[in-house]
Amino acid sequence: MKDKLTKEEVLHVAELARISLTEEEIEKYQVELKELLNDVEKINDVESYDDDILIACFSESAKLRKDEVGEMLDPKEVIGASPRHSGNYIEVPVVISGGEGA
Amino acid sequence: MKYLSLKIEEINKLLKEKKITPVDLVEEAFENIDSNKELNAYITLNKEEALRKARELEDREVDNILFGLPIALKDNIITKGLRTTCASHILDNFIPIYDATVVEKLKAKNMIIIGKANMDEFAMGSSSRTSYFGAPKNPWNKEKISGGSSGGPATTVAARDVLFALGSDTGGSVRQPSSYTGIVGMKPTYGRVSRYGLVAFASSLDQIGTMTKNVYENALLLNAIVGKDEKDLTSANKEEEDFTRLIGKDIKGMKIAVPNFFMSDIVNNEIRDKVKEVIKVLENNGATVEFVDIKYIDNTVTLYQIIAMGEASSNLARFDGIRYGLSKENPKDIDDVYYKTRAEGFGEEVKRRIMVGSYLLSGENAKIYYNKALSIRDDMRKEFINVFKDYDLIIGPTTTTTAYNLDDPMDDPKKSFMDDVLVIPVNMAGLPGLNIPIGFDSNNMPIGMQIIGNAFEEAEIYHLASFIEKELNLKLDPKGGENNE
Repeated sequence: MKDKLTKEEVLHVAELARISLTEEEIEKYQVELKELLNDVEKINDVESYDDDILIACFSESAKLRKDEVGEMLDPKEVIGASPRHSGNYIEVPVVISGGEGA
Repeated sequence: MKYLSLKIEEINKLLKEKKITPVDLVEEAFENIDSNKELNAYITLNKEEALRKARELEDREVDNILFGLPIALKDNIITKGLRTTCASHILDNFIPIYDATVVEKLKAKNMIIIGKANMDEFAMGSSSRTSYFGAPKNPWNKEKISGGSSGGPATTVAARDVLFALGSDTGGSVRQPSSYTGIVGMKPTYGRVSRYGLVAFASSLDQIGTMTKNVYENALLLNAIVGKDEKDLTSANKEEEDFTRLIGKDIKGMKIAVPNFFMSDIVNNEIRDKVKEVIKVLENNGATVEFVDIKYIDNTVTLYQIIAMGEASSNLARFDGIRYGLSKENPKDIDDVYYKTRAEGFGEEVKRRIMVGSYLLSGENAKIYYNKALSIRDDMRKEFINVFKDYDLIIGPTTTTTAYNLDDPMDDPKKSFMDDVLVIPVNMAGLPGLNIPIGFDSNNMPIGMQIIGNAFEEAEIYHLASFIEKELNLKLDPKGGENNE
């Protein structure tokens, strides 16, 4: 088993995670992430009894609540928690960029 | 006068007779915290509001045993109007706009929130050293860790600042620091306590737990926070019960199992010897103790890595620099906000876990790793259920070593998982588990024992824990104060 990930592999997982990395970090994570992934591979050596899976240990069947307006958070406070907002809107930078006439 | 070192019934009586008021208790708690400042147990103190609340309670009828008592909350339990950081730079200016359900319940009992306690960043770690605000120090030896991730709550309770704290336990984060600091820490059954307002780390494992200096007070605090919550689909619909009801009863006829894995050579000798001593005491008092094999129990660190990192990568996607918390200035476009905010806002351990988790859940990998882990997890829970057909409780050491040095290296990404090898199985199976102090090692650092119960049988755990507490009668105040437990 190789002892570190390639630079491209690290950049790929960083992209999945939406985290930018410095060159120094990339080097560090090439080794550290590989160590963790090697550990995780051990799952393939374990035999399971059956295909049953366990997500929630003791959950009761979900009940729908009545479709009634109940207590809720104040939209002003919710929007107000955003670092950039204006009135009832959250401000975001350009989402779709590039292209002529965009 | 030190009122907070009295028995809880005595404090309650003094409050009822108006000989003291909640203001006395709050002031005393802040004096304690101030004198223990170097332990770094807190991220944010709630002094002004706590005193205001205490004054408001002065004329109120003392209607329950927890009335007017100060409590510390781990800083991933959100509190309306009070900064909640998860010990992360990405939330270091975050003021929540609502209270967690447990906070509402504490307020309904007129408990007083004294502050937000230190922890590993987003509860990811086993020594609280991943905190953006620096690690808390162990009250028994300031060179040592308090454990994690609920290191701050453990520290402040062990140091006798306050009687009560709430932590959270995803892979041992209440029990392990409780063991390292010599206090009682309970992780209840998954679903027993609402997770609404607990910042999610791994949703299928997370559970809020109670941390106190003794068993009785722990059960009292659990009484106050349990119950079905419409805001948490995974909370369980159970009849109200008094968790103190079996405390003090004898243990004759009790059947106890010890997994062989828990007493294998991964655990240091001093700890194993101490556990063996306790087993003798239990046998001498009419309990049966037998060793058992629990299949898959030695695979739980791998299961945990997959499930916890996978779920964390999804849960922490919400920290995007858009809705709340840190946001990078002058971004080029929206991706720039995500990438740079998260790069700057998250610490190393958190980034590592999010990246590995994202990989494990991406495309086909979800099936290869995550589903496989959930399948083994199901098998392991069935193994536990089988044990509980023949036994009332399971016991073993809580940790493989006692607290280690704060300056031990942090360069092994697997270390924080291995510290929790004995406490993770309980989260995987959704069971309740508790740490009870059982003695000290040759360096006078606390040793803890874990008691695991069948689902929703917390009262039975308190039963055995109270027996051990009474039999051992340990001096558990790090400053050597009188034992009044």
